Amino acid sequence: MNSKTSHSSSQRYEGCTLTGALSITTQVEDAVTVVHGPEGCAHHNVSLLHAAMAEQGHPAIPKIVPTRLSEQGVIFGGEEDLAATLRAMADRRPGVIFVLTTCITETIGDDAASVCSEDYGVPVVLLPTAGFLGGCFSDGLNAALTTMAAKADPVEGAGETVTIIGEKNLEYEVEENFAEVERLLASLGLEVGLRFVRDVRYADLKQVGTGRLNVLREPSLAPVGEALKERFGTPYISSFPIGLDGSIAFLEEVGTLLGLRTDGAVRREEERQSAMLDSFADLRGSVFSIDPMTFRALECTPVRRVMEALDLQVDSDGAGVSLPYSPPVGTAGIRRLLHRWRRRVHA
Amino acid sequence: MKQIALYGKGGIGKSTTSANLSAALGAKGLDVLQIGCDPKRDSTRMLMQGVWIPTVLDLIREKGEDSVSTDEVVRKGFAGVRCVEAGGPEPGIGCAGRGIIATFRLLERLGALQGDVIVYDVLGDVVCGGFAMPMREGYAEEVYLVTSGELMSLYAANNIAKAVARLAKRSKQTCSLAGVICNAKNMAGEEELVREFARRINSEMVAYIPRSRTVQLAEVHKQTVMEYAPDSEQAAVYQELAGRVLTNDRTSIPTPIEMDELEDLALQFAEI
Ligand code: SF4
Repeated sequence: MNSKTSHSSSQRYEGCTLTGALSITTQVEDAVTVVHGPEGCAHHNVSLLHAAMAEQGHPAIPKIVPTRLSEQGVIFGGEEDLAATLRAMADRRPGVIFVLTTCITETIGDDAASVCSEDYGVPVVLLPTAGFLGGCFSDGLNAALTTMAAKADPVEGAGETVTIIGEKNLEYEVEENFAEVERLLASLGLEVGLRFVRDVRYADLKQVGTGRLNVLREPSLAPVGEALKERFGTPYISSFPIGLDGSIAFLEEVGTLLGLRTDGAVRREEERQSAMLDSFADLRGSVFSIDPMTFRALECTPVRRVMEALDLQVDSDGAGVSLPYSPPVGTAGIRRLLHRWRRRVHA
Repeated sequence: MKQIALYGKGGIGKSTTSANLSAALGAKGLDVLQIGCDPKRDSTRMLMQGVWIPTVLDLIREKGEDSVSTDEVVRKGFAGVRCVEAGGPEPGIGCAGRGIIATFRLLERLGALQGDVIVYDVLGDVVCGGFAMPMREGYAEEVYLVTSGELMSLYAANNIAKAVARLAKRSKQTCSLAGVICNAKNMAGEEELVREFARRINSEMVAYIPRSRTVQLAEVHKQTVMEYAPDSEQAAVYQELAGRVLTNDRTSIPTPIEMDELEDLALQFAEI
């Protein structure tokens, strides 16, 4: 079902299905992603991904190649264009070629599956991503993760590491959020093995079944978590921890799932949180005016809790701030939020 | 310049009617262009003495759109009628609707869409947007529905009337219904049935073309009736149609009827 196009909820995560899948495939370092369709479908995605990567300090051009379907391809069918592009890309010996379809190639009925099933000497993975069929960004993202997970090798017995599933590769604080989860896991003596999918090579993806535990970025990835649980028996946590209470709950949930003692780690985390709040004592009683565009995010309980803890008020006369689109991850997410607010108060 | 289009069920005889109409118009000394809009590309074959002319889309496919010249796509046939076949992709591949659009754009760019009369012979059994294209884009200004008295053929004609009525609501619309041509199967009561059908959809039967062996004979000689038997009764029928088309200035916005009404109509006239 299509869940995009509502103006009130329009943001970067609700674009075309293609964009969702690209946010995953372009994170596989040795992959080339072929967009089977007109150049425009690839172009605006290249700009978006490039901008997002630059914001995150990685100004690389994503490896996306369109089949550049023209009117000729639309009239006579684009299968030969796809095959030619695949042959040309295969010559470069990438680790994998992902093939993403578009509205137009699905409309004219190109049989991309059979073109992809031929032997090009490198693995070719097809992802149907025509937005008009009712998909949106998150469908493309889920489909990419599910398809890649299905390619993983079977495993015997759980390993030692934790696998991170479905990071939001286009969000500003993707690395900070990862670091926070990694820190919390480390406080329980756990290590992250695979980031599925960020900064990996195609061969690494095969290990998605080897973790002891999967941590999903957000609850909407539940189908991916379930699929992995069914296939490899790996338990999962359905979301990154949100805010202060979320961090504590996260530690406890990991402990329960893996049978670990958590009281020490929880106590240290609570101390860390109160020390962090103390360091913002200068903000006590401050007044903020919240950017109306982001006002709904105030309903985010973890933000409310911190505002109450520091006795922060909302009033149109106060220092203008905006709230983040995605709720702050962990103790560190709250600290960064408060830092931004402090800069506004002292501006 | 008159731009007319013949629409109707596949196999009803649109190409035979179009080719003979064009030939009759050409014989009157008019500059006529006939464009076959069907991947089957057999619209202009009888005008070309059985020669399959290269299609616009084949040429586009082989040479690229920019290298195609007017001489390659427009061929002169009987009575000076200039013939074009749009063609299409291989069955089951790509989008022929888009192909028809590309063909028209190319002809326009080449300046080939001119003359006294342009006859568009439009494919019958198509449901996608491509089939309405000549009407939608304002190429076909006067639409003629070709039908026999058979129910399925009337049904198709009624559906096309729906398309014309729908397009007529648009602001830039230029197409309207110019009449119904009965290409008879020689069923009893057929002429009255088609005449009444035409009246019900707010139009008029402009020609009754009886079924004739001459048509088949002309066909095996790879000629239009106008060329094969210019003095035959059948040739006179096409000449009359040509005269009617040239002078026809009565067009209408059709009022398509319901399937039930169509069936009742057929029952009422058919002498079973
Ligand atoms: S919505 Fe369709 S046409 Fe637009 S970019 Fe996505 S795939 Fe291309």
